[in-house]
Amino acid sequence: MTEQTAQNANVKLRISNMTKRYSNGDGVSDIDLDVREGEIVTLLGPSGCGKSTILRTIGGFIGVDKGEILIDGKPVQNLPPEKRPTAMVFQSYNLWPHMTIFDNLAFGLQIKKVPKKEIAARIDKMLHLVHMEGHEKKYPTQLSGGQQQRIAIARALLLEPSVLLLDEPFSALDAKIRAQMREELKRIQQALKITVVFVTHDQEEAMALSDRIVVMNKGVIEQIGGPTEIYDCPKTRYVASFIGEMNFLPGANGTEIAVRPEDVWLDDAMEPEMSAVIRTIMPLGHYTKVGLEMGEHFLRAYVPKTDAAGLRVNDSVALTFHKKYVYNQNGGLQQ
Amino acid sequence: MDQERKNKILPYLMLMPAMAIMAIVVIYPIFSCIATSFTQEEAGGFGLENYLYFLADPMQLTNIGYTLAIVLVTVVLAVGIAYLLSIYLRFSNSRVSRWIGKLYLLPRFIPGLVAVNGMITIISNSGLLNRLSRLFGADWQLGLIYDAKGIILMNLWFNIPFATMLMGAAMSAINNSEIEAAKDVGAGKLRIFWKIILPLTYRDIFISATFVFMSNISSFTTPYLMGGNYPTMMGVTMYNLYGNQHFGRSAALSVIMFILSALSAVMYIYVNMRKDQWEKN
Ligand SMILES: Nc1ncnc2c1ncn2[C@@H]1O[C@H](COP(=O)(O)OP(=O)(O)OP(=O)(O)O)[C@@H](O)[C@H]1O
Ligand SMILES: [Mg+2]
Repeated sequence: MTEQTAQNANVKLRISNMTKRYSNGDGVSDIDLDVREGEIVTLLGPSGCGKSTILRTIGGFIGVDKGEILIDGKPVQNLPPEKRPTAMVFQSYNLWPHMTIFDNLAFGLQIKKVPKKEIAARIDKMLHLVHMEGHEKKYPTQLSGGQQQRIAIARALLLEPSVLLLDEPFSALDAKIRAQMREELKRIQQALKITVVFVTHDQEEAMALSDRIVVMNKGVIEQIGGPTEIYDCPKTRYVASFIGEMNFLPGANGTEIAVRPEDVWLDDAMEPEMSAVIRTIMPLGHYTKVGLEMGEHFLRAYVPKTDAAGLRVNDSVALTFHKKYVYNQNGGLQQ
Repeated sequence: MDQERKNKILPYLMLMPAMAIMAIVVIYPIFSCIATSFTQEEAGGFGLENYLYFLADPMQLTNIGYTLAIVLVTVVLAVGIAYLLSIYLRFSNSRVSRWIGKLYLLPRFIPGLVAVNGMITIISNSGLLNRLSRLFGADWQLGLIYDAKGIILMNLWFNIPFATMLMGAAMSAINNSEIEAAKDVGAGKLRIFWKIILPLTYRDIFISATFVFMSNISSFTTPYLMGGNYPTMMGVTMYNLYGNQHFGRSAALSVIMFILSALSAVMYIYVNMRKDQWEKN
């Protein structure tokens, strides 16, 4: 009980029972989410599942049909974006192309009537934080995509928001820059201890970045948990199939058995519970991906390199499932 | 002949017929018109007589001034209204805006003559509006017909859709996130207009203005059908001069018109070529 009150005390953002439907019926329903101070929470899900919709209701760019959004305990769902203590970074076209980087950063501060000297000092400090010193006089088109997003993050941070919202900010960047920006964001977030809600459809990004992940499916939340928890204990069949790799086999009474490839163990027990025939062997560096045929089903197994040495295609092997999940007909976890 | 040389020559060969037609129907008449304009009607031979006629005759100066005044008022009103309309169409999601978005080009598809006659039956002194007003015991004499106001009204009908289309393209080049980012940092509607929308689209205002200017300076149908006897717009003046066998003078007037158009074309080219600092890479 005391622990829960302590947790409630530093809830930065609370979305309760929120529904937003567009006129065509798409949208999100019954969203409940608490984001604690200093936390990075990621909304993860396939395209069209409603991630941006949730983020945009937090930022005030769209209204809600039902429910409440509280920031620092105050309801904000009826405030316009400029009155909310949030700042948003979009996927692209964040910066105003006709303004220099300095003017882009100064715009919001000028509106807030911050004195000129202080504006310059704060921009200086912020450019330093995002490693973009010396670019003040350039225009956005003269920067690379990654640099533009750094400036966009800097501009959002200059507003000193209670909650920083990022909508797939790195998805237009190539893989290497994306990984780098991810680390940068993590570093900046930890330096400022700021609360972040991050949207992505890239589970690797979500895993790498988040304290907690919100897995979404067709407008509803399927599961909320830390990266390890989501991976090790997927509460629904959907989460099991969406996060990481998973083998699915039919179980008894319409249930489904799910096993991660690394939990499919090959051994040569004399009286095996299950046996399968090796169809493919694909060495992938430190582990080997083995394709197995078991009756009419196909399975994948990840075998450590050393154990894979003795395997041959068409060998019969015994299988044990080190860990498995059983999902009932409704997709809920049974065991 | 190797493939490469063939590829170089082929496009020019293919352009030849078009170029020949251009030379016959455009370039030759231009030069012949310029030549005619310097052919003196009274003194004979070549000289500036025809041009001096327009600069010396107070009635002709009035006609030119009248034309410029109508065209400038048309430009300001058409471009101004179209600019506001294009902003409305771009940033409003209401049903009204969607309908206007679908319908605003309709006037472009109605033949000019039909539209002018339609307008006349509505606004003339015994037209539809007058008759409606008489139902309520009033007797509106709008005085729009055979007057500059009627011509301007008609010009707006033709030019607002056109200018809206041009500036609508500029508006749709503004990304939603650019506007939303401005809201996010605290900018209100007016500030977003002055600091974001206007700087990103002001050039298209000038471009639309030059197009509207050029297409109206030489207009004929509307002023011929709706204008009065005096002053007349340059298109009608030219028609009258030609009808009275003043070929030299009407040619000179075309050259004057051409120069006025060229001035606005220069502005068009200047504005179009001019790159703002932020567009240079
Ligand atoms: N303005 C709108 N009007 C109508 N429907 C919309 C609108 N915006 C989004 N939608 C629909 O709502 C659903 C959720 O959209 P949303 O943008 O939140 O998805 P998303 O999870 O962010 O997807 P993505 O990863 O592709 O960005 C989609 O089916 C989308 O087509
Ligand atoms: Mg999205």
